[in-house]
Amino acid sequence: MRGITVGYVVRRLGMFFFTVFLGMTLIFFIPRLAPGDPIAAMVSRMTAQSGSVAHSDEMIQAWRVRFGLDAPMPIQYLRYLISLSTFQLGPSLAHFPSQVGDLVLRALPWTLGLLFLATLISFIAGNVIGALLAWRRTPGLAKALLPVTLTFTSIPPFMLGILLIYLFAFGLKWFPFTGAYDMGSQTQWTWSFVKEVIHHGTLPALAIVLTTMGFWALGMRGMMVTTDGEDYMILAQAKGLHPSRIFWLYGVRNAILPQVTALALSLGAIAGGAVIVEYIFTYPGMGYLLYDGIVNGDYTLIQGVVYFLIVGVALAVLIIDLLYPLIDPRITYQKK
Amino acid sequence: MNTRRLSHLLALLAIASLLLSACGAPAAPPTQPPATEAPAATQAPGATEAPAATEAPATQAPGTEDYAQAPRNETVIFDIDGGKVPDPTNWNPLTPGFRLDQGYHQALIEPLFILNYETGEIEPWLGTSFTPNDTLDVWTLKLRDGVKWSDGEPFNADDVVFTIGMLQAHPELWHSGDMNEWVKSVSKVDDLTVQFNLNKPDPRFLLDYFSVRIWGDVSIMPKHIWDGQDPLTFKNYDPAKGWPVFTGPYKLSSFNQDGTEFVYVRDDNWWGAKAGFQPLPKPKKLVWTWFGPEEKRAAAMANNELDSLMDITTGALQALKAQNPNVITYFDKPPFAWVPDPCSRTLEFNNSVAPWNDKDMRWAINYAIDRDQIVKVSYEDSTVPSESFFPAYKPLNAYVDLLKTAGLFDKYPITKHDPDKTKQILESKGYTMGSDGYYQKDGEQLAIDITTDEAYIEKQRIAQVVVEQLQAVGINATTRNESDATFAQEFHLGTFPARLGWDTCGSVNEPWASMDTMNTKWLKPVGTEASYDRWRWSGPAADQYSKLVDEIGTLPLGDPKINDLFVQAMTIWMDELPVIPVTQAKKIIPFNTTYWKGWPSATNNYVHPPTWWEGNTLKILLKLEPAQ
Repeated sequence: MRGITVGYVVRRLGMFFFTVFLGMTLIFFIPRLAPGDPIAAMVSRMTAQSGSVAHSDEMIQAWRVRFGLDAPMPIQYLRYLISLSTFQLGPSLAHFPSQVGDLVLRALPWTLGLLFLATLISFIAGNVIGALLAWRRTPGLAKALLPVTLTFTSIPPFMLGILLIYLFAFGLKWFPFTGAYDMGSQTQWTWSFVKEVIHHGTLPALAIVLTTMGFWALGMRGMMVTTDGEDYMILAQAKGLHPSRIFWLYGVRNAILPQVTALALSLGAIAGGAVIVEYIFTYPGMGYLLYDGIVNGDYTLIQGVVYFLIVGVALAVLIIDLLYPLIDPRITYQKK
Repeated sequence: MNTRRLSHLLALLAIASLLLSACGAPAAPPTQPPATEAPAATQAPGATEAPAATEAPATQAPGTEDYAQAPRNETVIFDIDGGKVPDPTNWNPLTPGFRLDQGYHQALIEPLFILNYETGEIEPWLGTSFTPNDTLDVWTLKLRDGVKWSDGEPFNADDVVFTIGMLQAHPELWHSGDMNEWVKSVSKVDDLTVQFNLNKPDPRFLLDYFSVRIWGDVSIMPKHIWDGQDPLTFKNYDPAKGWPVFTGPYKLSSFNQDGTEFVYVRDDNWWGAKAGFQPLPKPKKLVWTWFGPEEKRAAAMANNELDSLMDITTGALQALKAQNPNVITYFDKPPFAWVPDPCSRTLEFNNSVAPWNDKDMRWAINYAIDRDQIVKVSYEDSTVPSESFFPAYKPLNAYVDLLKTAGLFDKYPITKHDPDKTKQILESKGYTMGSDGYYQKDGEQLAIDITTDEAYIEKQRIAQVVVEQLQAVGINATTRNESDATFAQEFHLGTFPARLGWDTCGSVNEPWASMDTMNTKWLKPVGTEASYDRWRWSGPAADQYSKLVDEIGTLPLGDPKINDLFVQAMTIWMDELPVIPVTQAKKIIPFNTTYWKGWPSATNNYVHPPTWWEGNTLKILLKLEPAQ
């Protein structure tokens, strides 16, 4: 492949695995250093519901032994690494006997579906708006109206989510305000089910898109201003090229390069879910799962969700690094 | 090279920022249990058969209609109390992580007996009687004839003996510790009779473990399915085999993968109808669903998408009633709520930490608390102040009245708000008011840090008012939320500073259970997990109190000797005040009468109303009638 060498790919893969290892090590220790005990929390939930639980100390101890939490930390760490190397995420401490892998695999597709689309829509809309804001030929009226679309950038997504629910779900009743599909529906590949998913996903997606596209727009606007002053833009105009051709192929094409790197990172990070938005919309994704793991001190569940997050980000960075010579021909990893 | 470094740096930053943002997640909806009018008379130790069914069994031919497709007016939709269920394929109710409020407690499992809070009776259900011998160490359980599991297998003594043995063999399971403490052996006498030989006399064996005293009880599992399984990893779910199998009048029909909706359909072959014990319930389909935060749940009921809602705030109720006039609550005027829930709210000290290891200092705090203001501000008048740690049910009020008769509330005026008395005590202890407006001694400011559980807004609202009241008398009080895991761990280990909790829970119709939560026999050193007395109350007075509690524990329920022992023990407790009673708990449980009528209320109080409990919800389902 142009601009790529075998040595570079090998080094880059090594860095990928090292990053994942480092991330997994951190995520093993950080929850354990935080105060809070998952087993005590599990018993506490029972107490909260049943009034009191006699012999809870014995139960806590029995579960601690069962989960290996009584072993010294280095032994626990070693067991953890061995489990991960065989892709075993283990049982959830708070929802035993459920397996973390099952919980994550149930949530992951919903988060990927919602956030992948929302991120892409936000990226495209934000960059187009940003480019038009900086483009000198954009009509004045459009230039005056476009910033209005960025108003929501300063509102947190969950606040906008509540507003959208109030307006469009509770008030106008155009959209449902909860879940990923209708009550009573089962997950299946039929057009009617896909329509349900789109119907349910519109408001959470809108909350994310409206609040994030401003960042893309502002970044793109800055890049376009810089690009606009480049010699090749003047040359293109001097050659008499059509303005739209200059806008898309000379302006946007060059200004968008740093945005693509940021997009890769954003897409990599979506495996972690959108915690608060998913909570507000009762969306069955990774964000809610991570929230559940954190409040319960469920080490294995946190590790499982963050594992996908770390791999997602590291993989996205790896891919974008390998693709960069294609996106930007000026970059090459071959020795000259 | 620079690009690579930057990429990795960005990757790590993204991980860190995501973790940090996750740590700031919002509070979960409350998952507390319940309550109203008190259970009445004190129970005799054993339960015996009461007149049972008054209606003939249903005669509808089974299996002729797909109840999963039942229309809205034949469906009852309940709110899931505890939020979404992380793994909807887990139906093992014996592991502590299992969620029981998604219909399991209400539609699938049936208890042996049901303590009816409204009548005070322990009503027979799968069992017909459970009686002790004279020395209270041999209990004989008689099972109802004709009970069948949903797969048609008979429910009998083998199932009971098997379940108790399974619990005893696995200390990880819920109620394992209880069964190991009390049960020496359990044996089948015949198909419908089981004998429990206890390690020591227990007058409360039926009440505590088999009558749904609070929320749930020891559930009996079908031996023919659980035998040979590892009860710690068994998920008890296989639709091809018709699992899960229980005895209730409904069967699990479906659930969605994200654990926010569970559908149950009526089992027209239910043993209760076949045996003439009860009629078939009218609803053909039941749904438990979770709509998210309180605002969305209330909006769903306003839209008639819910028939029963878990505890909400007074403000949300008023908005809901304005939008849907068909919504009713237990009382139709303030406090609206079912008051009390069995777990009164208490301000709790770590009695091992100075200066709160001094009873006078605890009393100083008590005098600074204005309970009426807490009821007004924190509860919007939906509850009442507490004068003891007991829930204010009639049988327990009768005990509290003994204290009043003995003049103890004159000597120990727990509910009296007297800030001057607080200051007087503090000054007698050597504290002086500093220039910063706070009392201090030896250069150290008098401060108290009250922790709350982030999942329970109700307790946070109490703590906020208490903090203001303590600040007003010159004590630098603060409050902060902790995650469930931290709040629980600190309590068990005895490392909390002070807390707003509800852990004197236990008593409903007799005083011993709540009193035993402060028994020093449970005392463990700070840093070691304790089951009870997690407030680390100790010393000669605490030991004397515990001796009296132990003595009460050996007496049959209602024994007249209990009264005197109770007054003696409570005299010590009131003098010491290891925890401060603040308010009674409340549960506002709105019901929607658009599609169904017959919900429990103060004027139709056939049973207590929390629809996330075992047993009583079954009775509610049997009382519901179509409203249209």
